Amino acid sequence: MGNKREEIRAIIKDTKSLPTIPGIINKLNSMSANDKTSIQEMARIVSSDQVLSARILRLANSPSYGFYRVSTISNAMILLGVDVVKSLALSSSIFEIMETSVLGLWEHSLGTGVAANIIAKRLHLPDCEEIATAGLLHDIGKVIVKIKCPAEYQQIDEKISKEQSLFLDAETEFLGTDHAEIGGWLAKTWFLPEKLAEPIACHHDVAQSVNHRIKTAVVHVADTLIKASGFGFSGDSFVYPLQQIAWDQLGMSEQLLAEIVEELEDKLIEVKDFCLDLQSPNAD
Amino acid sequence: MQNIPITLVEAGMVLAKDVRRPDNPVGPPICGKGIELTAPLIMRLQDMGIRSLIVEGHPVWQEGDKTLEEQLAELDKRFAKSGDKPLMGMLKNVYRNYILKSMGESHGK
Repeated sequence: MGNKREEIRAIIKDTKSLPTIPGIINKLNSMSANDKTSIQEMARIVSSDQVLSARILRLANSPSYGFYRVSTISNAMILLGVDVVKSLALSSSIFEIMETSVLGLWEHSLGTGVAANIIAKRLHLPDCEEIATAGLLHDIGKVIVKIKCPAEYQQIDEKISKEQSLFLDAETEFLGTDHAEIGGWLAKTWFLPEKLAEPIACHHDVAQSVNHRIKTAVVHVADTLIKASGFGFSGDSFVYPLQQIAWDQLGMSEQLLAEIVEELEDKLIEVKDFCLDLQSPNAD
Repeated sequence: MQNIPITLVEAGMVLAKDVRRPDNPVGPPICGKGIELTAPLIMRLQDMGIRSLIVEGHPVWQEGDKTLEEQLAELDKRFAKSGDKPLMGMLKNVYRNYILKSMGESHGK
């Protein structure tokens, strides 16, 4: 079993085997490391790839961020930040796979992004867009399992159907690891900032989070709320226990939770419409 | 409350949420919640490109809509493995109250 875990780790280290667009990302990474590079210069590089630009703009206009009128990459970089746009560029291929073959997971991810954004805003946290992005990306490890370990993915799926198991337990049994750890590896391989990598890697175990516990706690609560709402499908239909450490870290209360749930449920109508629009024949 | 296509909205229904222009969803509302809809108002909203409205209660039954009992049964199922920790009991209760409220006083009946 340990072998399978190492096998997956090796797959992720080999970036060539992953669905992404390394050329532009490498350029963007080196440009963003250079203080003298302007947003316009970085935007020009991304805009040179029309398909990638369209994918990024579609995500930037998703209900996860709530801007709706982001029309250029340079606008997206100003509104969402360079790190967020870079992360969306890197993960756009993963989202493409979700949209076409695991739609329920795509809905769950968008919903978690929306929930994370609502929680962050309600708590007046800085970097709401980054937190929303961490929510959007939190289950990317599941896509890697699906495309790189199809046999195990099927076994996991069968176990859940037959025994009503939790996805997390089933994947640990068949892979010796879980999607959170795999997502964390992927985030590191892609050089995503730690503030995104840690919430992805620790969203099922907030206590493991060291440097970005608040962001991780938000993503954990957002994930739990979307499961409780029954929106989308993330592999199983059960709500995972809400961790006390996350609740305490955010200073949540029952009243605040009820207000967040009400706002979230309203927004989920938009998310559903957004997903339906993407599936319509006239979509980009 | 219920989100319904504008073609199924009828006079007398009450808006449960503000309505905003589709081309400016973060702009000011063009029609506020609590307003009772009239036929001319529905037509005007339709002309503005509004495709659906969120109204009070559950006045229209569409294919796939779930009854209150079905929604509460699904909620129980979703929480079946989360144990009996106080936080989970509270979370479930918040959702239960939301479902009851969203179905209106008549609970969709």
